[in-house]
Amino acid sequence: MRIVHVPNRALVVPGELLAEGDLRAGRGAYKEGQKIFSSVVGLVERGEKEVSVIALEGCYEPRVGDDVVGVIVDSHMYGWIVDINSPYMGDLYAQDLLSKVDVTRVELSSYLKRGDLIFAKIGEVTSLRKVKLQARGAGYGKLKGGRLVEITPVKTPRVIGKRQSMLSMIQSVTGCILKVGQNGRIIIMSEDEKKISAITEALYMIEREAHTSGLTDRVKVFLEKRLKEDGGEKASD
Amino acid sequence: MEEKKLLIEGRRLDGRSPDQLRPVKLKAGVLKRADGSAYIEQGNNKILVAVYGPQELHPRHLQQPDMAVLRCMYNMAPFSVEERKKPGPDRRSVEISKVVREALESVLFLNLYPRSVIDIYIEVLQADAGTRVAGITAASVALADAGIPIRDLVAGVSVGKVDGILVLDLNAEEDQYGEADMPVAMTGRDKRITLLQMDGHMTREEFRQALQLAMKGCQQLYELQKEALREKYSSTPKEVTG
Amino acid sequence: MIEKHRVLSLLKKEPLLRSLQQGKRIDGRTFDQYRPISLERHVIKSAEGSAQVRLGDTTVLVGAKPKKMPPFPDAPDEGGLIVGAELRPLASPTFEPGPPDENAIELARIVDRGLRESKCLDFRELCIEAGKEVWVIYVDIHVLDHSGNLVDAAMLASVAALLDIKGPEDPAWKKDFSLKYKPVSVTIAKLGNCLLADPSLEEEEAMDSRITFCVREDGVISAVQKGGSGYFESEEILRAEEMAFTCAEKLRRLLG
Repeated sequence: MRIVHVPNRALVVPGELLAEGDLRAGRGAYKEGQKIFSSVVGLVERGEKEVSVIALEGCYEPRVGDDVVGVIVDSHMYGWIVDINSPYMGDLYAQDLLSKVDVTRVELSSYLKRGDLIFAKIGEVTSLRKVKLQARGAGYGKLKGGRLVEITPVKTPRVIGKRQSMLSMIQSVTGCILKVGQNGRIIIMSEDEKKISAITEALYMIEREAHTSGLTDRVKVFLEKRLKEDGGEKASD
Repeated sequence: MEEKKLLIEGRRLDGRSPDQLRPVKLKAGVLKRADGSAYIEQGNNKILVAVYGPQELHPRHLQQPDMAVLRCMYNMAPFSVEERKKPGPDRRSVEISKVVREALESVLFLNLYPRSVIDIYIEVLQADAGTRVAGITAASVALADAGIPIRDLVAGVSVGKVDGILVLDLNAEEDQYGEADMPVAMTGRDKRITLLQMDGHMTREEFRQALQLAMKGCQQLYELQKEALREKYSSTPKEVTG
Repeated sequence: MIEKHRVLSLLKKEPLLRSLQQGKRIDGRTFDQYRPISLERHVIKSAEGSAQVRLGDTTVLVGAKPKKMPPFPDAPDEGGLIVGAELRPLASPTFEPGPPDENAIELARIVDRGLRESKCLDFRELCIEAGKEVWVIYVDIHVLDHSGNLVDAAMLASVAALLDIKGPEDPAWKKDFSLKYKPVSVTIAKLGNCLLADPSLEEEEAMDSRITFCVREDGVISAVQKGGSGYFESEEILRAEEMAFTCAEKLRRLLG
């Protein structure tokens, strides 16, 4: 038996009854007895076997496989400590960035130093929330140049979109590559101030309106308009 | 202390009936820097709450390996009361910080964020009795505003006794000249009592009735909390359709 | 240090809960039964009033000392009461030296409210000369051995210390000083669905929450304090209130 009390994409608040019966509580929800309740403010997502709530706010919780944009904050003998915009710091060991490295022979700061930006993958998260990063492979490692934009981490899926629809659209309309971290950090790989400004505003627009529909089209219209203009006019809400 | 009549023909000095809340204004997401925030006005109370976290807890030795630590600080601004209050925690603020923390702890999923800390800051900008419970009402909204998972929202209200009659949501005058003050906080969905204090003079029957009256008041505030959270997302274009 | 204790107390929680499910407390008491209590009076010569309470293995010593002071401007013809509490490091490996922490402050304030709101002291009687000089009674709670339920031990010792004040050798002290009521506090812990009066240390460490009722002999409740991070159903609060009144009568007999 299962009853779902709220429609898909409904806005719910903590403590609201979502469903009862033979269903699992996914992220943003919890189960008590046979009833599933929301634990966050967000949009309901009804799956086959579970009900979850996509939070509209929240910190970044590191998950294995996520891409993140990190900032080097410290180095030690075996690697670096990385701020990943989370309650937990990331650890990047030298061998997860460089191949065939001998830490006793090499000056690590020549590769990465405090303040550098990196694009990495979450390789491991222990129960004590020790986070191990991986930065080998194409597209990963030190980020040279580019502009950092930070948005609420839980809204990054919207920046990517279903089947990458939003991200592909932005990249094709602007001709710029974006490196999107699940931790709410996005790097705009461009030197063009006009494009950077337009994309930045588009990203904030996505952040503000993440819970609405038809967003991809509205963002496309906004970007096309902004890129045609000379000088910067603020986006209207 | 002189006698003062606080009820005239069944009406309180501010015109309310005994079971009526003061006008309440509750808003979520009012501060830029905090991870979550809320602002409440209740009668002449003006209270601002900020939530930070979860974030890594320093110094390290205070970290709990299996859960987040919840810290709560209740503070009254020096200008919040008639007689200027010296800045800094006094014994009353320390106790209030403790009971407020305990009122909110049970709705948090602390085990989701080991080794981290969640900080709640309650700033009373203008005080008119019932500040700790109004602080709890706003703090729950601030926690939800921060995206920190909670089982339920917690709302709080004070019940008092004036001229022998139990009244809901004491104001400063009723607190000062009345015969009892009983702050209560309760979870909205399943009505669990997470804060309960009383000082004054109550018979056993009055205590029972006061508890019932408080719970009714908390239910009303719970509806306002839900509204405040929804309202934050309702003023943008194109509502979601199923 | 503190971490180790939390882990150990979690280990002890399981057998405790299992025992309760069978209707038994691990020390064999019934749910509304207090541990053996002893009350020693006039134990400190340098204090005008003093008492030591042993509640199970919990030991609390209270000294009451009246002091002559100018009155507060808003109550020129009233004396005062100031309650302080210290959780001395010798009482528990979990107590650290330093100024009173939130637990010490809460303890003092619960006892203060229990005494003050019960109106057991008539502050006008403590006036020496209106506007100039009044008696303020300092009640200092010194916890010496923490084995659970500091509140009830402290409250009992405080009332006993006040009852026994042998006035200072000062003509200004009213020879007929007396307490109008004998307030008593009863603390009840909630573990699962069980309500247990006078929680022992293990029960306190395992409990979800606790509630303290300060009651007068005429059935008036002067103070209530819920503590701990758990919750109570409203029906449990009412059950606890009933239990509190039953226990209060027995406790009060110790005061004579």
